Amino acid sequence: MLQCIFLLSDSGEVMLEKQLTGHRVDRSICDWFWDHVISQGDSFKSQPVIASPTHYLFQVVREGITFLACTQVEMPPLMGIEFLCRVSDVLSDYLGGLNEDVIKDNFVIVYELLDEMIDNGFPLTTEANILREMIAPPNIVSKVLSVVTGNSSNVSDTLPGATGSCIPWRAAEPKYANNEVYVDLVEEMDAVINRDGALVKCEVYGEVRVNSHLSGLPDLTLSFANPSILDDVRFHPCVRFRPWESHQVLSFVPPDGEFKLMSYRIKKLKSTPLYVKPQLTSDAGKCRVNVLVGIRNDPGKTIDSITLEFQLPPCILSADLNSNHGTVNILGNKICSWTIGRIPKDKTPSLSGTLLLETELERLHVFPTFRVGFRIMGVALSGLQIDKLDLKTAPSRLYKGFRALTRAGEFEVRS
Amino acid sequence: MAPPAQSQRSPSPSQPSGKSEVSDLKLQLRQLAGSRAPGVDDSKRELFKKVISYMTIGIDVSSLFGEMVMCSATSDIVLKKMCYLYVGNYAKVNPDLALLTINFLQRDCRDEDPMIRGLALRSLCSLRVANLVEYLVGPLGSGLKDSNSYVRMVAVMGVLKLYHISASTCIDADFPSILKHLMLHDSDTQVVANCLSALQEIWSAEASTSEEASREREALISKPFIYYLLNRIKEFCEWAQCLVLELVTKYVPSDSSEIFDIMNLLEDRLQHANGAVVLATIRVFLQLTLSMTDVHQQVYERIKAPLLTLVSSGSPEQSYAVLSHLHLLVMRAPYVFSSDYKHFYCQYNEPSYVKRLKLEMLTAVANESNTYEIVTELCEYAANVDIPIARESIRAVGKIALQQYDVNAIVDRLLQFLEMEKDYVTAEALVLVKDLLRKYPQWSHDCIAVVGNISSKNVQEPKAKAALIWMLGEYSQDMQDAPYVLESLVENWDEEHSAEVRLHLLTAMMKCFFKRPPETQSALGAALAAGIADFHQDVHDRALFYYRILRYNVSVAERVVNPPKQAVSVFADTQSSEIKDRIFDEFNSLSVLYQKPSYMFTDKEHRGPLEFADELGNLSIGEAANNVVPTQMVEENDKDLLLTTSEKEETKGSRNNGSAYSVPYDGSSTSVFASQTQIESAVSNPTLAGHSPQASFAIDDLLGLGIPAAPAVLSPPQLKLNTKAALDPSTFQQKWRQLPVALSQEISVSPQGVAALTAPQALLRHMQSHSIHCIASGGQSPNFKFFFFAQKFEESSNYLVECVINTSSAKAQVKIKADDQNTSQDFSTLFESALSKFGTS
Repeated sequence: MLQCIFLLSDSGEVMLEKQLTGHRVDRSICDWFWDHVISQGDSFKSQPVIASPTHYLFQVVREGITFLACTQVEMPPLMGIEFLCRVSDVLSDYLGGLNEDVIKDNFVIVYELLDEMIDNGFPLTTEANILREMIAPPNIVSKVLSVVTGNSSNVSDTLPGATGSCIPWRAAEPKYANNEVYVDLVEEMDAVINRDGALVKCEVYGEVRVNSHLSGLPDLTLSFANPSILDDVRFHPCVRFRPWESHQVLSFVPPDGEFKLMSYRIKKLKSTPLYVKPQLTSDAGKCRVNVLVGIRNDPGKTIDSITLEFQLPPCILSADLNSNHGTVNILGNKICSWTIGRIPKDKTPSLSGTLLLETELERLHVFPTFRVGFRIMGVALSGLQIDKLDLKTAPSRLYKGFRALTRAGEFEVRS
Repeated sequence: MAPPAQSQRSPSPSQPSGKSEVSDLKLQLRQLAGSRAPGVDDSKRELFKKVISYMTIGIDVSSLFGEMVMCSATSDIVLKKMCYLYVGNYAKVNPDLALLTINFLQRDCRDEDPMIRGLALRSLCSLRVANLVEYLVGPLGSGLKDSNSYVRMVAVMGVLKLYHISASTCIDADFPSILKHLMLHDSDTQVVANCLSALQEIWSAEASTSEEASREREALISKPFIYYLLNRIKEFCEWAQCLVLELVTKYVPSDSSEIFDIMNLLEDRLQHANGAVVLATIRVFLQLTLSMTDVHQQVYERIKAPLLTLVSSGSPEQSYAVLSHLHLLVMRAPYVFSSDYKHFYCQYNEPSYVKRLKLEMLTAVANESNTYEIVTELCEYAANVDIPIARESIRAVGKIALQQYDVNAIVDRLLQFLEMEKDYVTAEALVLVKDLLRKYPQWSHDCIAVVGNISSKNVQEPKAKAALIWMLGEYSQDMQDAPYVLESLVENWDEEHSAEVRLHLLTAMMKCFFKRPPETQSALGAALAAGIADFHQDVHDRALFYYRILRYNVSVAERVVNPPKQAVSVFADTQSSEIKDRIFDEFNSLSVLYQKPSYMFTDKEHRGPLEFADELGNLSIGEAANNVVPTQMVEENDKDLLLTTSEKEETKGSRNNGSAYSVPYDGSSTSVFASQTQIESAVSNPTLAGHSPQASFAIDDLLGLGIPAAPAVLSPPQLKLNTKAALDPSTFQQKWRQLPVALSQEISVSPQGVAALTAPQALLRHMQSHSIHCIASGGQSPNFKFFFFAQKFEESSNYLVECVINTSSAKAQVKIKADDQNTSQDFSTLFESALSKFGTS
């Protein structure tokens, strides 16, 4: 099991250390780790599980903060990695984001949280909902409250009721004047388009996010109009499996607040909302670039925040690129980024210009991959539709809301 | 953290240097200690925070211990928590001062707030000071009986901590049996889960000394208990579910209906949001169905989707861990995943270790229906910015070509690579074309046309250059300017830094000479002269060898250097199937990520002897060396042993010493010849076919000129074993510990052998008739384990063998250790032949 957890800043400084078992892990392991990271060049490229001379290290990097866990025994690797991911999720949820300062300012809270999340190297509660009942988040409300009431403790007096109940994700019977439940479909489209414009691969990874503020012990049923298009699904522990097996209906008692009810994957989609047509022709030490972007399949809503990014090949000396719409920037690390925004009605956005190759090079042999970003509000591109959401014993006033959003995930166009 | 690493880190100017601040804090804490003024908690909190932050950045604040304890009398829970944290950190180095804290911690353990009771108990157990354990027993006992589950949960973990500080105290207080009771009856699943993990650890540690503990440990994987956990599995938190699932993998169901029950019960776990749970479930499924081939296949189909979703949904770190497992499964059953090949396409942004895994999977799943798409995709990567990945993808194309029957399209692609004018692409492609030609000589025409256009000046990498030279030599009759290209290479002999290339150049010159003597003769002379003058031993030796063999007899030389070749049908895999199986057995562990079974990376020194003692203890000591073996049988055995070993030796010799011999290729870095080697075909030429021993004699003669080329080939092993060898068990045990494993291999057992192996004794008698004696044996169908030993005839050199036979798979895992390492291969062959005759005689 895990023996120790370190939080490192982006300069390799140990911000926090939590020993979990009797086998103390010396801090010098962090120095070893940091040397290793530096020798790898880019922390992004170093592997999540590393064997140091003395320990096996799990690392997860979030917002410049490295979560490092050490162990000396064989264990399921995902357990270590998942746990660190949860720690980072919970911390960023508690502290409203992650960065060096916020962790240093709130290290007491971080210690408290880790104390409840893991004991003797074995993970316990990692549900933010439950933790919030044991340790109040350091938000403004609680600060104000403590000033007003004079009670300066940021710990609630009661233990979470759920620890004893059979629904471990839900606190005992909250009360709300307004009963609300919101369901969001958030989809990410991953696509690869070849240089000849053929769609090599296109699939959607989606999540159903629910934000529920319901009194008592609400029993919800959510159904889709077309569940058959789902290729694979994963559920929050609250979802009952049998109704899904038999009727593809989600039946569940939700945790209080925001959570991810379900994630799904839909593969083999046939088209993308946008087309991107890059053209690169090179001769005599120059390369002409021309990229066109337009709407291929109108999703019915506005396509927003369209961006296009590509890495200039290392053999390029200089680039002169312009567009007829939006702005083009060439960033320090030779990444060219073109911000388009929305597609105008009257013209097709295009990026054109020339790249100057290194001397001695006649033609370009390395072709960049264009990464496309976009966002469409109000549509789930996979076509998944929510049919209805029912509450078994509906309270008198109940607000239900549905939203959908699609954005580009790994959307790549090769040239 | 403690003792704080101040000395290691040079304090930066902004950091407090320590001394004065600490004494300041000390003063302030002292003032506050007795104070009961309003608002005192707030100022204490500020001070505590400062102390903890100093501690965190590595300043030694242990000198404040006394003051901190004095200030700890408070009702404020945050203050308490900070104080617990502080105490937990420094108690171990200040055991005397730690005593001071016992008092207030014990008091807090009786607090009316369950949260404080729990926290205090946790801190108390985390002090980890050996001489304070007596103070732990009381609070732990009452904690285990606490009405609040939070406290019970903490107390259970406390028991485990106590066990690690002082096992005897823990056992004497009878905590394990209390935990057992809690585990079976507590209403809170977290308490149950904690009990389970604590008891597993305690009983495993105790099992070696206490029979009761090992019985209890066995009881954990008994049917009633496993079912008790499985029926409640949904109530457990996700991490505890992992723990339960891990335990279930150790459970052996009695029949297939039970297997299906368990799988039905767990099926929805595959849809869990936590990847660790999903993987643990998959492991259970795979383990359960291992013996049911068709169901096992269905399991693959079933787990495919969840795994692919996990890969695409999680953070990069999670994806990587899942992908490693997927990789393992794909390598085991590529056909199951062949329709999902698009999932293994690389994304631009992925780190290269992920891309590498994906490339290997793409290679594995390629079959007739998807090859075209996969190769097209791989060709895209050849233009990748990431050069190592571009190389890997070209290699992948080559591997696919070698495993397909229809290589038509692929050859075209490879030839296109050659025309891409990028040096590393050309280099990789050359190596591939060479491998391809070895397997499909019928393509030589198309390939040679393209290869002929490549200027050898543009090829710099030794591997590629060697490949080019090999092709020039091999196909010199089809390439117009082959002799002249080679000649120019010989002229630049001194500038060629790689010995590998020079060796190939020699061989290629020879081959070229046999095909086009007039054009090559002078260049060959120059090459041999340069070779003999070479400072590199192998090059020198080979040149001399060629020179002498040419002088001896040119036609013999041609037979040796350029015999008719057979196409290579199978390129061997680098990773043996045994290792893959081992890794598979350790599914859902770090082994999968490292692609090595755990025994290859865990520390042997710590585990080796212990394990061995354990194993040997479980086996019955057989009566060794009692029976007299008929001599006749031994001789008979020796005869065909001679034959088999010499064959074996040739294969081995040419494999290992290929570069020192006429074999230009012992394969690229990834593949070696599996069976048909060139030296073998050289030896078994038409006139001598079927007389291998004689053939090796011919070579023996040739080499009798005094060139130490391949000594391994020269000595047909005459290994004779002592029929009356004797070794007492303790010597055996000692030797087994000391000697390294000389050989480890997997041997198939004949069906007759499997049939005859109803009890260990049958094999013992059989092996004894081959002068291999058993020292210990054990096990029951289908797994048997034996320890054998044998002695060299008239020498006191011993061979030790560990042999594990699985009758259901008809395989034997053999590990051989030998006093004389050089003859271990001979012995292995002898052992193998003896084993193969089991059941037939």
